[in-house]
Amino acid sequence: MKLLTKTTLYFLIALIPLLAVAGFYLFNQFSKEINYRSDKELISAEIAWIRYLRSEAENGTTFILRTPDLSIFPTDAPIAERPTIVNTNGYGINEIPYRQLSQVVSISGNAYQIIIRQSQEQKTALVTDVTRIMLFVFIGLFVATLIFNWVISQRLWMPFRRSLNKIRSAELQRIEAIHFEQTNIKEFNELNASLNYMKGKIHKDYVNMKEFTENAAHEMQTPVAVVLSKLELLLQDNNLKDEQVQAVLESTSALRQLSKLNESLLLLAKIENNQFETTIEINLADITKKYLRLFDEFIKEKQLTVQTDFSFSFPVKLHPLLADSLIMNLLGNAIKYNYTAGKIEIAVSENSYHINNTSMLPPIQPGKLFMRLNTSDNNKQTSNGLGLAIVKKIADVNHLHIAYHAEDGVHSFDITKI
Amino acid sequence: MKILIIEDERALQESILKYLEHQGFICEAVSDFMKGKEKVRQFAYDCIVVDIGLPYGNGLDIIKELKYMESKAGIIIISAKNRLEDKLNGLDLGADDYLAKPFYLSELTARINAIIRRRNFEGNKVITFHEIKLEAEARRVTVNDKPIDLTDKEYQLLEYFIANQRRTLTKGAIAEHIWGDEYLHVSNFDFIYSHIKNLRKKLIDAGSEDYIKTEYRTGYRFTEG
Repeated sequence: MKLLTKTTLYFLIALIPLLAVAGFYLFNQFSKEINYRSDKELISAEIAWIRYLRSEAENGTTFILRTPDLSIFPTDAPIAERPTIVNTNGYGINEIPYRQLSQVVSISGNAYQIIIRQSQEQKTALVTDVTRIMLFVFIGLFVATLIFNWVISQRLWMPFRRSLNKIRSAELQRIEAIHFEQTNIKEFNELNASLNYMKGKIHKDYVNMKEFTENAAHEMQTPVAVVLSKLELLLQDNNLKDEQVQAVLESTSALRQLSKLNESLLLLAKIENNQFETTIEINLADITKKYLRLFDEFIKEKQLTVQTDFSFSFPVKLHPLLADSLIMNLLGNAIKYNYTAGKIEIAVSENSYHINNTSMLPPIQPGKLFMRLNTSDNNKQTSNGLGLAIVKKIADVNHLHIAYHAEDGVHSFDITKI
Repeated sequence: MKILIIEDERALQESILKYLEHQGFICEAVSDFMKGKEKVRQFAYDCIVVDIGLPYGNGLDIIKELKYMESKAGIIIISAKNRLEDKLNGLDLGADDYLAKPFYLSELTARINAIIRRRNFEGNKVITFHEIKLEAEARRVTVNDKPIDLTDKEYQLLEYFIANQRRTLTKGAIAEHIWGDEYLHVSNFDFIYSHIKNLRKKLIDAGSEDYIKTEYRTGYRFTEG
C-alpha cells in the first residue's frame, strides 16, 4: 500500500467520529432552534387560548376540549406560574416527535389544564438531512483526497521518485557519477544527503576492493615468478638426482597451476566488477573460426569430426577479450573432454549459438555445473574448475543466457540472448 | 650482445641475469627507476628488459626516454600486472614485447633473441648452430647448406631450441612457447612429443648430428655430445 494511501486511509477513519460529532452538534443546534420557534408559537397559541377561554368563561361555559393537538379540561391540580414545555413522542404507531406545552391556569377561578402540542416532524427530516449532509461531506472529502493524492503523489513525491529511479539504475562501476540533488522538501533532502554519503562510501569501498583484488592477485605473481625462475635454474644443474629433478618438476607444475588459478580468479573478479565494458558487436562465428584454426592440431590429433554451420551470424555486444575467453573455454572443453574420433557440432543461428560434443564423461550435475572450483576427479590434471564459472559469468554480465544439456553421451551448450 | 635488466625484485633479477649470461649475453642489472634511467642514458644496449612497477617511477617512462633518445635497443616489458591496458600502452610507446610474470626464463631468452634479430637491420639475421643454419627472415633452414623442409611449428621449435641451447627445457615451457597458454584449455603437453620426433628425424635425415636429447621425464635439451 502506498504511504499516501495509508495516511489518507487513517485520515478518513479518523474523520468518521469527527463527522459524527459534528453531525450530532449540528443536529442539536438545529433542534434547539426548532424548539425555540415551536416554543414561541406554543406560547402565543396558549395566550390566545387563555384569552379566548377567559372571554368565554364570562358566559359561564365550562370547557372540555380533547383533540390530539389541543386538550383543555378542568383540573384539580395546583396552578402553575409558567408553562412547562417538553418533548414527547406522541401516541400511536407513528412516533412523530412533538413539542408539548402544558400549564394549569386559572380561568375565572377555575383551574384548567391546557396541553398544546405541535408536531415536530421536521426533526425526523433533520436527522436524515444532517446524516445525508455529513455523508456528502465525507464522500466529497474522500473524492477530493483521492484527487489530491494523485496530484500530490505526482508532484510532491517527484524528487523521491527521481532518487528511487537513480538508485534502481545505479551500477557499481558508475555509481560515482550519480548525484542526488537538493529539493525543497526537508525530508527528501535528508534522504538525498544520506544517499549521497552512502554512494560516496560505496564508491570508495568498491575502488578499494577492486584495487585490493587486483593488487593481491598481481603481487602474488611476483613471488611465484621468483620461485619458478629459481626452479628453472635448478633444473639446469647436472648433478641433480632423478628424484630431485622430479621434485623440481612437480613444484614447477603446481606453481604454474597456482598462477593460472590466480589469473582466472582475477579475470572472474574483473568480469564481476564490469571492467570489460564495450560497445563493440562481435560475431561469435568469427571467434569460433579463429579458435578452430588455433586448436586445429589438437582436433586432428584426436581425430575429431567438427561439423559447423556458420550460415548466420550471431552478433553480441561483448568485449573481445571475453568473447575469446568464452569460445576458448567452450571449444576447449569440447575438445578436451572428447574421445578419440568423437564429434563436435557448432551451429550459429541468428539468435543462438550451439555447441555440442561427444564425451565419455557423465553429465554434469545441474547444481554443480557453473560452480567455481568444482573439478570432478577425472580432470583434476588439466582443469582448474574455473572455466565454466568464467563462461557463466561472461554470459551473466553480458545479458546472455547459457543452457547445458546432456543426452546419450552428447553434451551441449546453448547461448541465447535474454 | 648487451642486455640491461631493470627489475626491482632482486631474486628474479638474479635468475634472469644468471640464465642470460649462461646463454652468452653480457648483462647488467639495476633495481630502480633512477638507476635504470641513468644506465640507458650512459650506455647503449641491444635489449632492455624492464619491469613496469619500479621504485621511484614507472618503467613505461624509461621506454619514453629511450624513444626520445632514439635508441635502437629492443625493449621487453615484464610485468606482474597482466593488464591489457599496460600491454597496449607499452607497445604503443614502442616496446617490442610484453611478458607477464611469471614467465619461463627460456621464453624470455627466446624473445630477446627474436627482438635483437629483428632490430639488427644491417647485420646478418642468420642463426647458426654448428651445421644447422636458420635464415630468420625467409624462415629457411639448411643443414650443411642443404635446405630442409620444416613445418611452422618445427621451425619455431628449432629456433627456440637454439636460443636456449644446452639448457634443459621442460615440456610445459616448450608447449607454452609454441602454442601459447591456450593449449592448457585443450590438452596436456604430451602432444609436443610428435613434433619433436619429426623435427629430430628431419634434422638427422639431412645429415645433422642428433642434438635433441631427451632428458629423463623432464623434457629436452638441445646440445652437442
